[in-house]
Amino acid sequence: MARSTFQRMLGIAGAFAVLAILGFVILPAAVVTLAAFNDKAILAFPPQTWSWRWFAKAIAYDDFRSGFGNGVIVAGWASSIALLVGTTFAFALDRYAFPLKRTIETVLLSSLVVPHFTIGLGFLILAAQIGWARGFIVVIACHVVLVLPFVLRSVYVSLRNLDQRLELAAASLGASPGRVLVTVTLPLLAPGLVGGWLLAAILSFNEFTASLFVTAQRTQTLPVAMYNYVREYADPSMAALSVMYILATATLLTLANAYLGLGKLLNVETRR
Amino acid sequence: MSRPGAENRSNEPTGATAAGSDQAAVRLLRASKRFGKVVALDDAMLSIRRGELMTLLGPSGCGKTTLLNLVAGFLVVDAGEIEIDGKCVNEIPTYKREIGMMFQNYALFPHMSIADNVGYGLRMRGIPKPDLKRRVAEALSLVRLIGVEDRRPFQLSGGQQQRVALARALVVSPKVLLLDEPFSALDRNLRASMQMEIKEIQRQLGVTTIFVTHDQSEALSLSDRIAVMFEGRIRQVGSPDEIYRRPADRFVASFVGDVNVLRGRLHRTDNQAIVALGAARISVPTEPLARVRSGDRVDLFVRPEQMRFANSGEPIALEGTVAAHIYQGGYVNLYLEAPEVCTSRLLIRSLEPDAINRWPTGTRVGVTIAGADVMAFEPEPAIQSV
Amino acid sequence: MKPQPFLRTFVFPAALCALGFLAAMATVLQYSLRAYVPGSLEAGELTLDNFSALLKPLYARVFLDTVWICFLTAVCTLIVAYPIAYALVRAQNRLIKAAILIIAVTPLFLGEVVRTYSWIVVFGNNGFINSALLKLGVIDHPLQIMFTSFAVITALVHVTLPVMVIMLAAALAHIDPTYERAAQSLGAGPIRTFVSVTLPLSAPGIIAGVTTAFAWTFSAFATPQLIGGGQVNMISNLVYQLGLASFNFPFAAALSVAGLALTFAILSLLRFAARPLEKFGPH
Repeated sequence: MARSTFQRMLGIAGAFAVLAILGFVILPAAVVTLAAFNDKAILAFPPQTWSWRWFAKAIAYDDFRSGFGNGVIVAGWASSIALLVGTTFAFALDRYAFPLKRTIETVLLSSLVVPHFTIGLGFLILAAQIGWARGFIVVIACHVVLVLPFVLRSVYVSLRNLDQRLELAAASLGASPGRVLVTVTLPLLAPGLVGGWLLAAILSFNEFTASLFVTAQRTQTLPVAMYNYVREYADPSMAALSVMYILATATLLTLANAYLGLGKLLNVETRR
Repeated sequence: MSRPGAENRSNEPTGATAAGSDQAAVRLLRASKRFGKVVALDDAMLSIRRGELMTLLGPSGCGKTTLLNLVAGFLVVDAGEIEIDGKCVNEIPTYKREIGMMFQNYALFPHMSIADNVGYGLRMRGIPKPDLKRRVAEALSLVRLIGVEDRRPFQLSGGQQQRVALARALVVSPKVLLLDEPFSALDRNLRASMQMEIKEIQRQLGVTTIFVTHDQSEALSLSDRIAVMFEGRIRQVGSPDEIYRRPADRFVASFVGDVNVLRGRLHRTDNQAIVALGAARISVPTEPLARVRSGDRVDLFVRPEQMRFANSGEPIALEGTVAAHIYQGGYVNLYLEAPEVCTSRLLIRSLEPDAINRWPTGTRVGVTIAGADVMAFEPEPAIQSV
Repeated sequence: MKPQPFLRTFVFPAALCALGFLAAMATVLQYSLRAYVPGSLEAGELTLDNFSALLKPLYARVFLDTVWICFLTAVCTLIVAYPIAYALVRAQNRLIKAAILIIAVTPLFLGEVVRTYSWIVVFGNNGFINSALLKLGVIDHPLQIMFTSFAVITALVHVTLPVMVIMLAAALAHIDPTYERAAQSLGAGPIRTFVSVTLPLSAPGIIAGVTTAFAWTFSAFATPQLIGGGQVNMISNLVYQLGLASFNFPFAAALSVAGLALTFAILSLLRFAARPLEKFGPH
């Protein structure tokens, strides 16, 4: 459209504002990256001498390594279980009528609004009451409850966007309900499923507050290990670890956007 | 309602408001617009008179919507100028152009009442409340919608929403009223009555109007003048009658109204062009045939109403076989096969309700050309088949 | 009735999860009503002592602080997120859109500890802000930014931003651009178009965003714990201190229950107060 000077100025001011805010968003990540390369042991800024040694130390540190491993185990199990439960239930939600339908849905989605420390506390006490040790099962169960809403929503949205006539066509060609599911529905849902799983895995791996309550020394996930480290030491190992974290996350998200369309996943695409 | 232009801030006199006034309200001077490699509008020259209803007519992709958006200010010309009331508006943004626009999907603000919708433009211009209320009421009664001020758009029917959209565009006394295919969403009967209403309102107010449509019968019935467009260029500008009876080229002749294309041969005498078709000799305008020599093939463009089944003694222009009938209630469309003169089927109309029995399928009939104003054009260059 | 194959198989696992979740919540509720037995994980008989202890000014203070922090965070996040969401939706260039989206959303996936730690590096006495200001000669000795409400709220805004951007962008994306054109054709300049058309039509997104931001912030733990350092306490920190550090499960449970009730009350209030705004939303 033809623009008046005023509009042009508005546009520039707007661009500046957006850049400034994005700068605010990146600031901690940028600062931490610089700090990670500092050779000295104190957390100082800017670095006087540069070195990779904190990266080496972070990778070698036992607690971080076990934390990483535990995190992978927990995230892998939790998101896979959540995917199974979430997909089957989303299907039932979308297509079927049954008693307590809305109730179960509300309960499962409510873990979004209940604070994580409450959920963590709840599972901790529950485990103690039942007599379960604070092992992986408790942690995984807790994480499933936490990430389920995301999987549920992702799969449900994909289901809604699925053209049911394709399934009807398959049925008209002789496929039983089970085969329709396996040969038509699931393949078409695949992007939503993968997206949901990915989202759940990332959230589970990074989850901290509830994990702090339910994990024990031997099951602690990486964020918990990092928290314990920060409370005692102040060297840049954490910075190095954070940098690796940031790189990995950004890469994953870029890939997710390129292949799955992050915008569609988060429902922010423009209407045509 | 005040006359258009009364709100404008310049000191130009409003002048005569009847259609046909000499002063140009909107002018396009060699306006061009491209999108990437696609040329949407090519070197367009158009002058729209104050108070007239000018229709931009053409198939999709012809550039009519681009032209409209350029006048509205939603697009910027790549070359050329757009003038409103004699002033170049290339640099002026939409909200300062004092236009009124009716969108295809009406675009009524869903979060405002009907009264607030219609009064929106007046609010932007700082019109005080009592005046505003009065003018909104006037506008709504002009479009024959009373008692809906407090409702919301979603509570009205499509036809009602359209009237509100019209009222909203008119209440600000715009310099130009722009209509973007406003009737495409309506059913046939509603469409016909809305067309008449808009025509009456436009006449009554004398507001310069640009109307975009792909429906040629709509264009013929509504317009003071029509600009026929194709592939980014304006092919012809003229009154509906001129467009229909004196199309400037093949495209206009075939786009507007039904037409049969027949192969004939040109006989030229000094200042007359006569086309021979069968035993018939038809007089045609000479200008389109400037480059054709006597004896060459030409294409005759004959409207269905210009053809008749030949009675005895009348010169037979062609002979054909009846291939199909389409009953249309008040008339019957008959389709003839006459491969020597026409590659596709010929259309001829009969008002006799008995036509189907009188000329059943397979009958061989003779046809005579019985109208004036038949056009002839150069044949198209042979298409190379790939 | 339409046939519903595999109904039980599909619903059963979800029902099980729901039950597990409810069991955990019921445990919290149950413990909040039982007495604290020091030195043991078991709880005593039924009592309301835990809840009456909440009325002490010390704890009431924490509740008020939490609400205030959540409110401030939600409002600040809204102000900061709106331009980003707007730019994200209106940008034409696909690369720019992708860049804005990824930058804005990445903090969400980093995890609380990495985020919070990064802010420590920014706010600390040897951190980025102080080093920069000292170098520029603006100050003589480091400013105490850590352990202040300002620091906590800034970090919380940073955390909540991605969520708010997503919700606002979703709402903005669903507004038909023709409305803005219509407003312009009627004489509304860019600011008036925004205020009278775009902003009201995005109201549902704003309400959803603010409500979510409030609920999320209420749940925040690592940020106030590490950046607040004991000076700035939210309910979550208290629950941790009492529950995990002192093993006073009943009181921690009572705190949680009270916190939940408070959140629920405030969210309902917000939703109720937003009712008149509903008329702005598109239908």
